Amino acid sequence: MLSIERLEEYGADVKTGLERCMNSEDFYFRMISMFPNEDCFNRLEEAIGKNDLDAAFEAAHALKGVAGNLSLTPLYKDAEEITELLRSRTQMDYSELLEKIRNHRETIREMVED
Amino acid sequence: MLRNNDRFKTRNGKKLILVVEDELINREMLKVILEEDYDILFAEDGLKAQEIIEENKEFLSVILLDLMIPGIDGKHLLTELKSDTSTANIPVIVMTADQKSEVECLDLGAVDFIPKPYPAKPVILARIRRTIELNEDRQIIKVTERDNLTGLYNRDFFLQYCQQHDKLHPEKAMDAMIIDINHFRMINERYGKAYGDEVLISVGEQLRQYINDKGGIVCRRNSDTFLAYCPHLDDYDAFINSISMKLGNDSENTVRLRMGVYPDVDKSVEIERRFDRAKLACDTIRNSFNRKTAVYDKQMYEKEMYEVQLIESFPKAIKEEQFVVYYQPKFNIQGERPVLASAEALVRWTHPELGMISPGDFIPLFETNGLILHLDRYVWTMVARQLRAWKDRYGFTIPVSVNVSRVDMFDPELLESFRQLLNEYELTTSEFLLEITESAYTQDSNQIITKVSELRDMGFKIEMDDFGTGYSSLNMISTLPIDALKIDMRFIKDAFKENKDTRIIEVIIDIADYLKVPVIAEGVETEQQLTSLKEMGCDIVQGYYFSKAIPADEFVKFIEEEIKLRNA
Repeated sequence: MLSIERLEEYGADVKTGLERCMNSEDFYFRMISMFPNEDCFNRLEEAIGKNDLDAAFEAAHALKGVAGNLSLTPLYKDAEEITELLRSRTQMDYSELLEKIRNHRETIREMVED
Repeated sequence: MLRNNDRFKTRNGKKLILVVEDELINREMLKVILEEDYDILFAEDGLKAQEIIEENKEFLSVILLDLMIPGIDGKHLLTELKSDTSTANIPVIVMTADQKSEVECLDLGAVDFIPKPYPAKPVILARIRRTIELNEDRQIIKVTERDNLTGLYNRDFFLQYCQQHDKLHPEKAMDAMIIDINHFRMINERYGKAYGDEVLISVGEQLRQYINDKGGIVCRRNSDTFLAYCPHLDDYDAFINSISMKLGNDSENTVRLRMGVYPDVDKSVEIERRFDRAKLACDTIRNSFNRKTAVYDKQMYEKEMYEVQLIESFPKAIKEEQFVVYYQPKFNIQGERPVLASAEALVRWTHPELGMISPGDFIPLFETNGLILHLDRYVWTMVARQLRAWKDRYGFTIPVSVNVSRVDMFDPELLESFRQLLNEYELTTSEFLLEITESAYTQDSNQIITKVSELRDMGFKIEMDDFGTGYSSLNMISTLPIDALKIDMRFIKDAFKENKDTRIIEVIIDIADYLKVPVIAEGVETEQQLTSLKEMGCDIVQGYYFSKAIPADEFVKFIEEEIKLRNA
């Protein structure tokens, strides 16, 4: 079950996130629970697998945007890092960063589904 | 500034917003933020956005655009929107996380941006509201700065732009032009208003193309009058001919233009005065078939300055009594000896700087600007005062006729003015004759005839002045309320040239006989003319043969002579 405590424990800026949702916990939680199923995670994985940095950048950028809007700060920070690297189309090994993002997704999924 | 929101289209009473955003969660969040205040359409990619915009472009109040969208890139979409005139007016707010894109988007035509992560709801709503308001205000300005029919600037904005232009290019030689369509009213009447409108649109378009090309601007001032402010041109006939050609005038030549130019304007002259000068030039070719262009020149400038001087010195001239009334006797010639019948009051102006000014210089001028109302009243008062003085001195006076101008006829106080004047100087309508020019009758005949009838009911005798010059129809003449016809002096002059031909005068005398009113001949200079007129049956004569117009103190000799003869 999602709760304010768990989100805060994770490191989310719950206050700002709730504000953005007009302080409707219900709505805020609903948005967060949709998040792990969002396509941008998969798109990012796939694009990097194919070394399609253009597509990867788009996906990372989208991911960052949503994470920011939901104030999921730890994910947002990592998404920002990979977005910036991809913006300049940096050729490098992204597996470590991808792993981090995968973990964020898992953590959020656990929070939602538990 | 108008802020009538109703004039802008809404659906379901709410303004319509398009949100272009690919991420579902972002769309959901925006929906919650906006749905209370706006009607929202969503597009998750560029293609969908294009579709929706095409369908709803007349209704969209604002577009919120995410830059990173699948399909067509956001910047590309923005550029496309702004370059299409049918969508360029829809304001676009860009939603972006990176500040680098912000400036770029503003350059591309976005009006504002909303950062990501989104700010709180009130911030987003405030930015959207402000964007919509600004845009609507801009639309209102755009609506009112254009002439609906031709899409050209309207007069006010045109003049503002001229001023702006002068500020930016103070040294540039500019021409002020006015372009009129000859007999446009006839075009409207013959072919209908729809056709007339088409003519205006194509004239406007041709002018715009030509003048824009030269770096100038055009507006439609009103009806069929266009103004242009343009870097100095060398050949105005070439300009007008080129426009006429483009209008596709064939031998039937339905649309003919005329143009007045004030070239290389003096920029210290007020902007509107510059176009007045162009109009002054244009008016000189109003009825000319051959001349299409006229240029404001030194002569017109001097005339204008002279007239300004006359107008400016008018109030002082009235106050200081610079206007002097002269009297010219009229003699009844039908008896054995000519009998002094009356006199005509004629005004003279002794200007302190300009000296004696001919009435021909100032009467037509004052007739056009309305000062004649004041001058007429001044003259009437002077005459009334003089009549009173003669009556007091001789116990008798001859009647004096004064001019009543066309504009006086529209003065609702006219009858009351005369009533007061007669009361004040204890005079009767038999001593005060009124002369009204024939052309006044033909211009506003109903109004004038009504007024003249009222004056006659008061007891006034009305002499119709300048008869034969005003194109009265014979039909109208038979119903005119008048008491005498005055033959214009030109007819007398023409009739007694080398080949004497008095038939016209005979006709006029016949008309007077038919109306049972006496005829007065003006401008009679010789004994031969006098004898001839007497034989033809002319009743009263005025002119140099007896006396030119003279000041009152000289005129008394005629009164004294008349008294002597009567008593003899």
